[in-house]
Amino acid sequence: MGLAFESEKCIGCKLCEMACSASHEEMFNPRLGRLRVGSRYENKDLVIEGHVCILCGSCADACPTGAIEMKGGRLHYSKEDCINCGVCVDVCPESVIVQKEEDVGVCDLCQGDPWCVKSCPHGALTNKEVSSS
Amino acid sequence: MMGYQNKVLRINLTEKKWSTEPLNMDWAKKYIGGKGLGIKYLYEELAPGTDPFSPDNKLILMTAPFTGTTVPCSGKLAIISRSPATGTILDCSIGGHIANEIKYAGYDAVILEGALETPGYLYIKDDAIEFITAEGLWGKGSHESETMLLEKYGKEAKVLSIGPAGENLSTMACINSEYYRQAGRGGIGAVMGSKKMKAIVIEGTGGVKVHNMPKALQRINEIMREDTLTDDNLWAYTDGTAMLVEMSNNTGILPTHNFQDGTFMGYNKIDSEAMKKARAGKKACGGCALGCGNFTRTGRGVVEGPEYETLALCGSSCGIDELAAVVKFNDLCDDMGLDTISAGNTTAFAMELTEKGIKDFGLNFGEVESYLKVPELIARNEGIGKELGLGTRELAKRYGGEDFAMQVKGLEFPGYEPRGSWGMGLAYATSDRGACHMRAWPVAMEAYGDLDPFTIEGKAQLVVDMQHSNAVKFSLILCDFWATSEAYMAEVLNLITGESYTEEDMLVIGERVVNIARAFNMREGFTGAQDTLPNRIFNDALKSGATLGKKIPKEEFDQMLSEYYQIRGWTTEGVIGKEKAEALGL
Repeated sequence: MGLAFESEKCIGCKLCEMACSASHEEMFNPRLGRLRVGSRYENKDLVIEGHVCILCGSCADACPTGAIEMKGGRLHYSKEDCINCGVCVDVCPESVIVQKEEDVGVCDLCQGDPWCVKSCPHGALTNKEVSSS
Repeated sequence: MMGYQNKVLRINLTEKKWSTEPLNMDWAKKYIGGKGLGIKYLYEELAPGTDPFSPDNKLILMTAPFTGTTVPCSGKLAIISRSPATGTILDCSIGGHIANEIKYAGYDAVILEGALETPGYLYIKDDAIEFITAEGLWGKGSHESETMLLEKYGKEAKVLSIGPAGENLSTMACINSEYYRQAGRGGIGAVMGSKKMKAIVIEGTGGVKVHNMPKALQRINEIMREDTLTDDNLWAYTDGTAMLVEMSNNTGILPTHNFQDGTFMGYNKIDSEAMKKARAGKKACGGCALGCGNFTRTGRGVVEGPEYETLALCGSSCGIDELAAVVKFNDLCDDMGLDTISAGNTTAFAMELTEKGIKDFGLNFGEVESYLKVPELIARNEGIGKELGLGTRELAKRYGGEDFAMQVKGLEFPGYEPRGSWGMGLAYATSDRGACHMRAWPVAMEAYGDLDPFTIEGKAQLVVDMQHSNAVKFSLILCDFWATSEAYMAEVLNLITGESYTEEDMLVIGERVVNIARAFNMREGFTGAQDTLPNRIFNDALKSGATLGKKIPKEEFDQMLSEYYQIRGWTTEGVIGKEKAEALGL
């Protein structure tokens, strides 16, 4: 299972980012959400963008201490093993790993029941079966 | 109390200094936030008789406990000042994401005092505040200004800005954010212009904490599913406010030709079905599950909207049945920084003055070319715009036509014909900022609902109840498009704050907010004498459709108003007695 984003269904409400930060950081703060979804006007057009963890495993591969591991189709993160080097943040192709003061925030799919998906009012975010390529 | 940042940012523009202070929590307990708390602050801090354009007037940006959280429909900001259009209290609300950003920057409120010497703007990033010259921005449209500021500060920044209308102190100037969201009414943009403030740019990197996060997150999500994303509210998502065009036309309350009629021949060219054909996307405010914003494209014209009020005032009331023309007019008003309700209404009034040979403004019902020139002329204070920018009341003083200058206390009517919903007449007459549809909206129960619209029976109580409900809603800050109950309001407030408010408390707070607004207005010399409607409503019968032959007899209106005062516990002159003020703990 993995996150999927459909831009035509997104209204740019930011409920996903807020719920993500609330569930992981105990506060509402979209900048701490482990996904980046939103819309804005640019050049008289509506631009809708969504970036979610695509489970590519680049962060786990790059982590020098094994603090990030891909297990059972999900990312697992160990704060004890993390040296906060920021390599994972740099290699993430979707820029959805959050750099915090002492550690990083990695999408863990909320142990299988993602808050971003539950909070999306119009089904723009879903948790879908993904092919294990 | 949780849910608050417990911090107010106070900015002295004259001295270019700023300070922070704790939020007054005694007031917050009684007025919550948003509209109520903003009015309380202004009531306590503004000397009576302060000229709205004097540096002594204040501009208060007020958030609420729900701001910045996942509470559905909680993304609006209240902006409070004394209105240059009416002289009354003025609280406006603006959508988008600016309210959340203020909260994430660490503030419940930003209070702007004094005035800059030369045009400038403010940049606020968390606890860093900069005063910057508006050279290169002043005189430009609000859209171009926002674009330039986003290029400078990045796409995550949020911007409040004014257009030339605000700079030139038009009493129908608005404040914009995200191009198409407005704090629209009562000249709030002109107050910002009088302070020589072109814009406020805000970035906040902090967060909002609540009483019990896991519980709040879970329960608020359930409430969104069980009470927000329901048939009662989802019209906002599927259609948006344009849905009301057909409903109003069918019930004979669609303002047409400056309220000479309640049905419009070309209504189906500017209704929701016409809008859907031109829809190019959907956009919500922060935290909103409904997403009423329709991004519309007609040829080269784009706008988020037009909303119902714009379709009614700038469409049918001006006799315009071309959607592309209304889209263009709407976009021009947004860019120039003009309230579409007052600009459309005043344009229609000028059209009727021209039609009747009272004063020739060269504007005619249904004529697009001259109509499309109006927004820029008003905003730039040029040509006929110099006079139109004064609004209907001042125009009528100069040229006549008072009976059909469709305004209350100097604020133009929104898009609901009171002769087809008599309670709406009372709502306009008694609203705290002049003719407004957001203080009470009895048309929902009358023209659009099951109540007899052509009677005063039960309407005073209906308006009182709706005013309380909306006053508390706008103090929690919830959007009125979530038709929720006081029980849910109290439950969510308790989840966020950890307090134990009851359903009854919500209504008491609503009543307190209505009364503090009234007290502000009384202090500025307003009495029941101004709680009235233009004579057209009392004397002229409507001409077609479901409201054919209808008017509100003056004696019936007077009776409805006196019942309203009685229910409120005010004197027969509409004054709050000492006893009432004490009982409410104003």
